[in-house]
Amino acid sequence: MNKPYKILVVDDEPDLEPLMLQRMRRHIRAGRYSFVFARNGLEALDRLNEEGNIDMVLSDINMPQMDGLTLLEQIPKVDPNIRSVIISAYGDMKNIRTAMNRGAFDFVTKPVDFKDLQITIERTLAHMMEWREALSYRDKLVSIQNELEVASRIQQSILPSEFPDDLRYQVYGNMEPARDVGGDFFDIMLLDEGQIGLAIADVSDKGVPAALFMMSCRTLLKGVAIGLTDPGAVLGEVNDLLHEDNETMLFVTVLYAVYNPATGEFTYASGGHDAPLLIRSDGTVSLLPLTDGIALGVAPELEYKQHKIELSPGDTVVLYTDGVTEAQNTDGSAFQVDGLHQIFAGSSSYLKAREGTDLVFEKVREFMGEASQFDDITCLTLHRDT
Amino acid sequence: MDVTSQRTGGALIVSVEGRVDGANARKFQKAVESVIEDDDGAVILDMEHLSYISSAGLRSILLIAKGLQKRNSQFAVCSLQDAIGEVFRIVGFDKIVTIHSSQGEAVSAMGS
Repeated sequence: MNKPYKILVVDDEPDLEPLMLQRMRRHIRAGRYSFVFARNGLEALDRLNEEGNIDMVLSDINMPQMDGLTLLEQIPKVDPNIRSVIISAYGDMKNIRTAMNRGAFDFVTKPVDFKDLQITIERTLAHMMEWREALSYRDKLVSIQNELEVASRIQQSILPSEFPDDLRYQVYGNMEPARDVGGDFFDIMLLDEGQIGLAIADVSDKGVPAALFMMSCRTLLKGVAIGLTDPGAVLGEVNDLLHEDNETMLFVTVLYAVYNPATGEFTYASGGHDAPLLIRSDGTVSLLPLTDGIALGVAPELEYKQHKIELSPGDTVVLYTDGVTEAQNTDGSAFQVDGLHQIFAGSSSYLKAREGTDLVFEKVREFMGEASQFDDITCLTLHRDT
Repeated sequence: MDVTSQRTGGALIVSVEGRVDGANARKFQKAVESVIEDDDGAVILDMEHLSYISSAGLRSILLIAKGLQKRNSQFAVCSLQDAIGEVFRIVGFDKIVTIHSSQGEAVSAMGS
């Protein structure tokens, strides 16, 4: 059996240690995790140097002697391959953003939800393993094909593994990578007052640099979305953060939406991304208006307009990437938005989120036949039940 | 994918034909850069015969535009097929890159 992953927990709160050991006891007993504790940044650096084989750090921000943000700057000097997750006060965007800029992989907010923490730990460890593998591949100077495989696994590691469980609505997404391209992702974020954030995105290139750009895009989006409620403002912030020192001109198209299950309000903004499809409960299908935003990462200080609609019970919204509309059949013609329209025209209100997404994949595959897949295909469906 | 060039009036016209996608975007960018590097004037990218462009291809165009901006050369694209124009519009690049409907229009706009 593999050795347990060693996690360093840094917090000046003495209660966290017994609580962590208690809540994670099954994973400790199963040999999945082992924990080391420190009360501040200085102690943490001592542990990192003494122990030598720590895989990830979970750190509070405000601590005596050395705070979490300073610690983040010091960790790479000990070992650049250690991944860090920050525990911060809810909505403390300034510190979260600083932490992200200093290389934190993710964050959790206080009070700590241990189920969420465990998912975050698993995701961080999965990412770290991919990263280590990417480094070892790079050292071996292997072929482009292997690099693409690594990139595609980084891509898989950032997709959500669970979907919200709520009686009022359903969300379901899927991504099928093309063999040579890895640029799509989607994410679902739980926000204030029971609202949810839905993001679907397409990064403009393949390979490891694009995959890393995708990762920072996803992390920034998640960080910014928690502090801001307007999708347009979220895209504006993320655009500015991505544009800082983006010499490579990589860019990402993003459709970001906030859904309020209490009111049925669905507010979205597009950064160069295709417009969502709306299917009313009576089977009427329409393309929602584009909000005319520019893809993210290209130019600074852009304003993103947003548009709001109201979903009634039984309504469905389908978000997708151009891998769906530009999928080609053997004759070289494309699926197009018309293809999407036809899938849903006349479908009735019992259409559910998972069915919607599955149906898109089924119909696109049917259309493509023997033709090869040029681009990632991604689809994320939201359905209002009540 | 094929790249050719010719000088018309004050501008260098670079024409691209075929598909530009993830597989050949870098080749496309290098081909364009090599024809424009010996020149210091305005550049027009003629897309009349471009049938498809992926996001990797759009990124190549941004990199070309950025290089031209550094040397203070004007840059525009022209003669986009409907589907390509739609891609530019959705991604919002119609607000970043100057687009002309024909080569003639592009040349006279550059001259003024």
